[in-house]
Amino acid sequence: MDKPTQKIVIVGGGTAGWITAGWLAAHHKVTSGSPVEVILVESPDTPSIGVGEGTWPTMRNSLIKMGISETDFIRECDATFKQGAKFSKWVDGSDDDFYYHPLVLPQGFTQHDLAPYWASLNAESNEKNKHSFSNAVCFQESVCEQGLAPKTIRTAEYSDVANYAYHLDAGKFSQFLQRHCTEKLGVTYLSAHVTGINEHCNGDIASLTTQTTDKLEKEIEGDLFIDCSGFKSLLLGQHYQVPFIDCSDVLFIDTALAVHVPYDEEDSPIASHTISTAQEAGWIWDIGLQHRRGVGHVYSSRYTDEATAMQALADYIGPKFDSLTVRKIPIKSGHRETFWHKNCVAVGLSAGFLEPLEASAIVLVELSAQMISEQLPANREVMDIVAKRFNQTFNYRWERIIDFLKLHYILSRRCDSDFWKDNRDPKTIPESLQDLMKVWQHRAPADMDFTSNNEVFPAASYQYVLYGMGFDTDYSVTSHLLNDWQYAHRQFAKNQHLIERATAQLPSNRELINKIKQYGFSQI
Amino acid sequence: MSNLVQLTACEHQSLYLDPNKCGQHGSHLNMIPVVLSEFRQLITQYPIVLTKNGDTGAFTFVALLGFAEGENLFWHDDEWRSIYLPLQIRRQPFFVGPKDSETGEHPLCIDINSPTLSKEPKGSPLYGEQGEESEHLQEAKQHLAQLLRGEADNQAFLQLLQELKLLQPLSVEIAFEHANPTRLNGLYTIDEKQFNNLSDAQLLRLHRTQFFEPIYMMIASLGQIYSLIEMKNRRDSPVHNR
Repeated sequence: MDKPTQKIVIVGGGTAGWITAGWLAAHHKVTSGSPVEVILVESPDTPSIGVGEGTWPTMRNSLIKMGISETDFIRECDATFKQGAKFSKWVDGSDDDFYYHPLVLPQGFTQHDLAPYWASLNAESNEKNKHSFSNAVCFQESVCEQGLAPKTIRTAEYSDVANYAYHLDAGKFSQFLQRHCTEKLGVTYLSAHVTGINEHCNGDIASLTTQTTDKLEKEIEGDLFIDCSGFKSLLLGQHYQVPFIDCSDVLFIDTALAVHVPYDEEDSPIASHTISTAQEAGWIWDIGLQHRRGVGHVYSSRYTDEATAMQALADYIGPKFDSLTVRKIPIKSGHRETFWHKNCVAVGLSAGFLEPLEASAIVLVELSAQMISEQLPANREVMDIVAKRFNQTFNYRWERIIDFLKLHYILSRRCDSDFWKDNRDPKTIPESLQDLMKVWQHRAPADMDFTSNNEVFPAASYQYVLYGMGFDTDYSVTSHLLNDWQYAHRQFAKNQHLIERATAQLPSNRELINKIKQYGFSQI
Repeated sequence: MSNLVQLTACEHQSLYLDPNKCGQHGSHLNMIPVVLSEFRQLITQYPIVLTKNGDTGAFTFVALLGFAEGENLFWHDDEWRSIYLPLQIRRQPFFVGPKDSETGEHPLCIDINSPTLSKEPKGSPLYGEQGEESEHLQEAKQHLAQLLRGEADNQAFLQLLQELKLLQPLSVEIAFEHANPTRLNGLYTIDEKQFNNLSDAQLLRLHRTQFFEPIYMMIASLGQIYSLIEMKNRRDSPVHNR
């Protein structure tokens, strides 16, 4: 029981496997004589899913942690800047129906909430003078609408003018991380099939039997095994049979049709935000990389059929759709009941998956990798305690993400299919979200609604979606929230000023990408 | 607008040059690029810092001339008042042209719109009666040569500063007597903490490459920010007592 946790074996070399390997190796300083050893085993012929293209600003910290230059990352992973998401046609489906969930917090958010003032001003304005919430309180919407980058070539790497994450090519990213992890961070890489899982008498995994393509058998012992094997969940799901909690009763999406769409011109503009456009029984994602767009239709096969979904995707993309190869990916919405079982922890798709509406997949990998790295159990004796914490933390996080994704659906006024109507049915809405919605009838989402240390989405994100979707909070009994109009007017004016300054100063997303390829960022 | 043309004795023989007017080329600049070989002269009056090129993000050494955009505190009454005039100004109106694809040489160019040039006999002629180069023209060529060499020195120095992580953003809040406070942004200087933590081997390297001196000169030159503040206070003072 006092055997120290030193040898960590990761199964799977997709985004999840390499991010976890990089975090662990960097945190435990594997290259400078640490007793911790990180081994990654990847099956030579399992293709990675490779459609995870959206990240959170947390990715900047992960890259910094691993000692990666932002210039190299952008050059080699086809990466571009992402400043949030634009939700089109989610409210009522009309052509001018859109709102933003930007990455910059509402102006002055940490001191005093502008939401009540915005609501009050809007109630008094006529239709023409109404400001969307995201545009009234945040300068980033204008930056995105004009296709501008979140920084300039003079901004130091990983610094910003406006908060940002990335869009990236997941396949290239895995290869890039593999090179970095093996060459710089001391991760050992083995390309081999896992053919057997060998247990200790206490049920822990003792070792993996592996076979390389030239039929060499090798047994790999380990103290901790990390399952990054993707949807098949080789260790946690298949070996340990940890149950899967299905949440398709809340989130109905179960299929994705994905395509790579080439740009019309080499220098076509690149959107600096994810575009998510609601459809009859789902929605279409649209992510701009350097050389192509990644576009996909996620839908619920309970409410539409593949041919209709395919047609919707074709209509969205236009004439060039006919020459593209469509990949169909089944989506099983949900997660494992526990994530860390005995000396095995699942990270990535092996732990679970939800529709990519808020790019929660990669951020959950980063959060998992960080927690495993920081709380790596000193020995087997304390591992069960850390496992328990890990399971509590991530169960909480998955529930919060499910709530937040569901929030996008429940306020829609679309009624073009039962998909939307059923999404509004209280029977499909988690009680935790129903409670929040009741509280928010009289005040805006606030940090006091989200008091755990393990929150994923801040209250500001709930505000952006709630008020973007047209929710009315009634302040008649909470008028004390409107007691500092002077402050509010100052902040609204400041936001206006920031819009002018940012849009005058920032280059287009494409222009900045070209400059990074030519000159690179400096470190300061 | 400047208008650069290749300088030739036959085309430009009749031109006169008034070097006292070259300061006009920098009258509306609040910083000017400088080279390593003039640091010693610059520190008598100018803060030497780095800024980033707006197009490429590359670092450039500059002498600070003012705080607001377009503010050159050394410029008043149509005159650049300083002990030392930066090379980038003194070389006016001459430029090194882009490499000639046939000869492989950089032609000497001139800005024919420069206020220093005139067809009237103001200043001294560019060329002698026999078409020989005037003393001023020869001097200007030397300045250009110094700038070209200096650019190479600058790059070597810069590379070492970046490699040893000796640069840091310079962020100063500045209060004036008669103007609104301002914040210096987008400027960089030596990271003294990092400088003091260099290893013996790194220090030896600085010594061998002779980059110790410019590092100390840059640090010391920051004190001239106070001179600039004083110049601005005096300039903006309701009682003109320049």
